[in-house]
Amino acid sequence: MGRQVAIVSAGFSEHSSKRSDVNMPELVNEAIINCLKKVPSLGLKDIDAFVTGNMPAFEGANMPELWSTDWMGARNKPLMRVTTGGTTGGSVAIAGYYHVTAGLPGIDTVLAIAYEQQSQGDTSVGLASTAYGEISILNTLGIDYDSLSRILSAGAAIGVAAYQATNYMSKARITEEDLARVVVHNRRNAAKNWWAHLKMPDLTIEEVLDTPYVQYPLRYGMLCPASDGACAMLFTTEEKAKDMCDIPVYVNGVASVANESAVLGYDGSGSAQTDPSAQIGAMRSSELAYSQAGISFPRKEIDYAEVYAPFPNQELMWLEKLGLFEETTAPEMYKNGTTALDGDLPVNCSGGVNSTNAIGASAMERPAVAALQIMGKADNQVPKTVHTSIGHGWGGSLNLCTLMVMSDEQKRKWR
Amino acid sequence: MTEKVIVSNKGLVRADFNFWVGKYMDKFYDGLEQKKIVGNKCSKCGDVFCPPRSVCGKCNENLPLDQNWVDLPESGTLQNYTITPYKVTDRRTRKVKDPQLIAMVQIDGSNTAIVNRLLNITPDEIKIGMKVKVDWSEKTTGAPSDINGFVKV
Repeated sequence: MGRQVAIVSAGFSEHSSKRSDVNMPELVNEAIINCLKKVPSLGLKDIDAFVTGNMPAFEGANMPELWSTDWMGARNKPLMRVTTGGTTGGSVAIAGYYHVTAGLPGIDTVLAIAYEQQSQGDTSVGLASTAYGEISILNTLGIDYDSLSRILSAGAAIGVAAYQATNYMSKARITEEDLARVVVHNRRNAAKNWWAHLKMPDLTIEEVLDTPYVQYPLRYGMLCPASDGACAMLFTTEEKAKDMCDIPVYVNGVASVANESAVLGYDGSGSAQTDPSAQIGAMRSSELAYSQAGISFPRKEIDYAEVYAPFPNQELMWLEKLGLFEETTAPEMYKNGTTALDGDLPVNCSGGVNSTNAIGASAMERPAVAALQIMGKADNQVPKTVHTSIGHGWGGSLNLCTLMVMSDEQKRKWR
Repeated sequence: MTEKVIVSNKGLVRADFNFWVGKYMDKFYDGLEQKKIVGNKCSKCGDVFCPPRSVCGKCNENLPLDQNWVDLPESGTLQNYTITPYKVTDRRTRKVKDPQLIAMVQIDGSNTAIVNRLLNITPDEIKIGMKVKVDWSEKTTGAPSDINGFVKV
């Protein structure tokens, strides 16, 4: 029942605000080349199946997986597209894992590819297409557009994050300075990561606080960029992984959980509206993934975390909800250096989503970086040895979370 | 249950899309501006792509941007066609007087086909395998519109 799965490589394209030098399949191809370059014994011909995903409609290209087939090397091979909003990359990675663990005949090595070319097309229209989907749901409840505009969250993703931020700030009794500190942490880390987008090695808290509000309490300098970029991860069986790389990274637990139905701005049937920073979905996903991986004391057993935080308040919130820090203590951990590169629990050393956000790729870049940290091949490698790491994704309008727990040991509790 | 219309949404959405063609198609459009058709070749299987591309899907080979470019003639073979009584650019308008002919043309020396209109050819004359050539627009700008269509050789 279910084969043990290992990650043997992960690769990235260069990320920037406008990759106008490549079209979408060419961007995808870059990440695949970077991923396979790290496994010299393997070529595209050795890949048995492909999973891919990006945000629906962001680039205005329908069925991009078919356009990219040749550029992914997927001609005449099993190919599947998965798209789940902000968690797309996380879902694609989990689908890659499912492909291998399922044990289908002839499917051992699977390439998972997630990407976004936000400069192409119109992201607002892409987001609107998501919002319109939700408007349709509200219409079926008999709510017309005019009434809707009064109750709808302001301004897309930041509209959701702003509620989470004010709520979290009042719970943890922190100021904007604490949010800015997280941003500085991320952007300085990004400066040491070749594929990151916003590299700011000398950024200060004052500079972040000196930018105007976009939506209280989030300032312009705290927001993630819109990036073009792609990410690829290679999954295979434990037997094959040993021949492909020195330190295979075993996937010991995965989860993808939404804890309640939540239509943007209206139909929160649970805590997402009354307590936006409760994030029960994140807690539930960590419970599930940790129990599969046999983790009882996350803070002690996890050495490295990549969490999906386009906005700094989310980074603090996730670290607590995923069981790494006690409630409301995360801001202190950024002050005392626990989360720094050389700290006890390094967090988002890639610069995180706060520094690079090619949306469809972002939730895959988290487990990808977390896996590379175990292999010792990450671009901003932590000095200590990483045995166990997590890669998290967030998306949907409020509360869908993906989580992958990885380790250099096969600790999966089920066979 | 009776049907009751509560909501009737009317709206206009403006969407500005940019598309990056990439460096390979850039070269193709540069060629069109000089009334030339260029393709590129897979060094492994020898297939010639027109329009050019960065990857040969058959061989999983990356085709380097600075190598294996091929100048192709403006002549080609009609591989497939269809005929429509409607205006190609606007199907909502009434039928046109002369039927529109659309064809897939394989440029000589390439392994791919491009789609364009056939000009000055009647439905009686059209035949798979017939030779056609590019009809260039008078003023080329490095855009798809540089090719008006294909005409009889």
